[in-house]
Amino acid sequence: MSLRGKAAIVGYGETSFTRANVSRGEPRLSYWEYFSLAAELALENAGMSKKDLDNQGLAIVHPEVNHPLFVGVEVAENLGITTRWMITTSHGGSSGLVSLAQAALAVNSGIVDRVLCIAGDAPMTYGDTMMLTEHRRDYEKPFGVMGPTSLFALVMRRHMHQYGTRPEQTGKIAVTQRDHAVLNPNAIFRKPISMDDYLSSKMIAEPIRMLDTVMRVNGGSAFIVTSAEEARKICPRPVYLLGFGECDNYYHDTKQLGDVTSTGVGQASRDAMTMAGVARGDINFLQPYDDYTIAVLMQIEDIGFCEKGKGGKFVEETDISYKGELPINTGGGQISAGQPGLAGGQVNLIEGIRQLRGEGGERQIDDARLGMITGIGALQYGRNVGFNSVGILGTEV
Amino acid sequence: MSKFGVSADHAEGHERPKPLPEITPFAQEFWEGTKRGELRIQRCKGCGHSQWIPRPNCEECSSRELTSELSSLSGVVYSFTIIRQVVMNSSAFEAELPFALAAIELSSGVRLIAQVVDVEPEKVSIGMKVEASFEHLSDKVAVPKFHPIV
Ligand SMILES: [Zn+2]
Repeated sequence: MSLRGKAAIVGYGETSFTRANVSRGEPRLSYWEYFSLAAELALENAGMSKKDLDNQGLAIVHPEVNHPLFVGVEVAENLGITTRWMITTSHGGSSGLVSLAQAALAVNSGIVDRVLCIAGDAPMTYGDTMMLTEHRRDYEKPFGVMGPTSLFALVMRRHMHQYGTRPEQTGKIAVTQRDHAVLNPNAIFRKPISMDDYLSSKMIAEPIRMLDTVMRVNGGSAFIVTSAEEARKICPRPVYLLGFGECDNYYHDTKQLGDVTSTGVGQASRDAMTMAGVARGDINFLQPYDDYTIAVLMQIEDIGFCEKGKGGKFVEETDISYKGELPINTGGGQISAGQPGLAGGQVNLIEGIRQLRGEGGERQIDDARLGMITGIGALQYGRNVGFNSVGILGTEV
Repeated sequence: MSKFGVSADHAEGHERPKPLPEITPFAQEFWEGTKRGELRIQRCKGCGHSQWIPRPNCEECSSRELTSELSSLSGVVYSFTIIRQVVMNSSAFEAELPFALAAIELSSGVRLIAQVVDVEPEKVSIGMKVEASFEHLSDKVAVPKFHPIV
């Protein structure tokens, strides 16, 4: 029994992103407020009220910053709704897509008719992060590892060594995504950058430059999932979930000495395309999770848009702008729009929904009917990303 | 120093201490070894698999009968980065900037991430042969730092 076309997104919303710089008059809110703001926007967009979500489903993404374990029921309490099905997803940047897939399962199984999926986070307000993995605490921080940037730098260097990948190639991803952010009113960076800006941007952990990484912001987003049947009745432009695949703790080669340049997104994308009954060539756009430019490059290869190792050449030779052959991260991605903590996994997802509803504004892709969205999260010790998921969304079943 | 969140305590004798690990039950022998200048990795009695980092069981066959085996201190750089900024870690590392951090494949068949010192970071390269010595962070733990060997 396939989930293909069984559920749809009928409303969505994204709060504004902010660095919460109080001296500039920017609000310094809690993640609770972002959950609340995002829920309100999605309800309004769907033409629903809280009553429509009372005694229904709720999916909450765990914030990255310190938060109570029972965050889900506290969000329900703040919203003043009783839920008949609830999950909290802890899949790092993959959480938003996992919420979507789980919501589709819940709706399809008849447990509830509707699910409100929310993510909100406020790293600028809280600063400190909670313990994400024990290996980070015990075998990374004392050894001099500077969080994910160090680990992705090791991956990127190895990719450059094995395949000859050059900074001008990852740079094209950064420059194109920035061009997209210029057209996205909600992006945190709206000034174009040139290749020279990229190449001369400060090294954080060589070969990773400042412009390869995300800027953390406060923010949140939400979307509402119903059965496809209900969606057709209540929503003029439903966005259907056509395919989903997940591949966590993926091993490439051996467990100890595996090649670090491949992710589990490859397997997840094959599963998603099989479920959707589509081929790569049918996909109109890709919104890959982008905590680093090299992550985008590896996913392009792993999904199979080109051979492993040829991602650099592929992005060099392909128009990846919203007007191009394979539009990538048309809202600027997290690298240019901002990463609202662990709500970041929904940034690319929300942009995918926007494009499929024809609401991409100045950066709208012509005739966008079928989009692929990915989510990756967590870094395994000495390996690659831990959580990998891929969703395929479309305007028709 | 609550900045480091969950770490139990911090290296003494530094003005801005480096974060210390929690010594989890299955990692005790590793940390004991580091004080004597040894790198100890787990080897499975069931299937012979060697693994780093310490785990409660063998990642291959799930056996919990793991021996603590002395690993070679030498290995080869698999990948490396030059850290130019402290992020998501203790400011104690600022005194060492810039420094090379590498994934090192030990002759014992595991990959370990550690600093490479006693060499200009720009001179570090993939394939470089390195050997570990130890920096004592407290009276309970030391961490390996590698230096090039011929
Ligand atoms: Zn075993």
